[in-house]
Amino acid sequence: MNEERELAINPIVQTSVQHNSQVVSNIRNLTASLFGVAAGTLGLESYPGFIFYLVGTLIVSGLVFTFRADGKPSDYFHRPLGDLWGGDVFSGLSSFVLTWTLFFGLVRA
Amino acid sequence: MAFLGATLNTVGLVFLTHAVYSTHEHTATSPSAPLPLDIVIELLASILVLSAGIVLSSPALKPIQWAQWSGKISREGRHGEGKWTREGEEILSEGDPYSFLGLDGGIGGQGEGRRGFWDVRAKRKEYEAWAKTGGKS
Repeated sequence: MNEERELAINPIVQTSVQHNSQVVSNIRNLTASLFGVAAGTLGLESYPGFIFYLVGTLIVSGLVFTFRADGKPSDYFHRPLGDLWGGDVFSGLSSFVLTWTLFFGLVRA
Repeated sequence: MAFLGATLNTVGLVFLTHAVYSTHEHTATSPSAPLPLDIVIELLASILVLSAGIVLSSPALKPIQWAQWSGKISREGRHGEGKWTREGEEILSEGDPYSFLGLDGGIGGQGEGRRGFWDVRAKRKEYEAWAKTGGKS
């Protein structure tokens, strides 16, 4: 009820929300395969590889926070924690694993 | 900003290619030795530069609060965003969705404004003044 009233007073533009989440998911997909290249070339195996991915996404979230959201994520995301810091982390995981194994096989094996 | 992003992307790609190729050479010649530190640093630096370039070359986010969004539109108006269709028409940014109501002209403004909110007395006075001058505009 409270949130409903809040949305009635300060309405949210749906097209902007879609645009922002699309931008974030684009960045995530591109950088996830990039981190896969790095993890495979470094020869990371098992948990260190996944930790590398999580650290990398955190850095990318920080970059988006500074350069795209101007340090005010609540202006651009309805739920900053879920949409910016945690947005699309696990959808990028599959492309990360793909390039990770590919470059591990190409460079290391 | 787009130029900076493209530059960072190019530089990052060059260094990334070099680092991966160096790793390939290193593992091909001495498979058991650990990776030298300079290759690791080059790889991590290139990844960082590339992700910064990707973030900087991505399109700008749009404010989601209606007040800020519409304020931005009315400040900047419709303008080109550097994209064209295949027919050569420029793609404009989104405009005021309620502009068809014609509220901008308004009562105090120069234009007609919305018909239902016409200031009839002012229009009549305007017409009388025009008629007194002999019908010349």
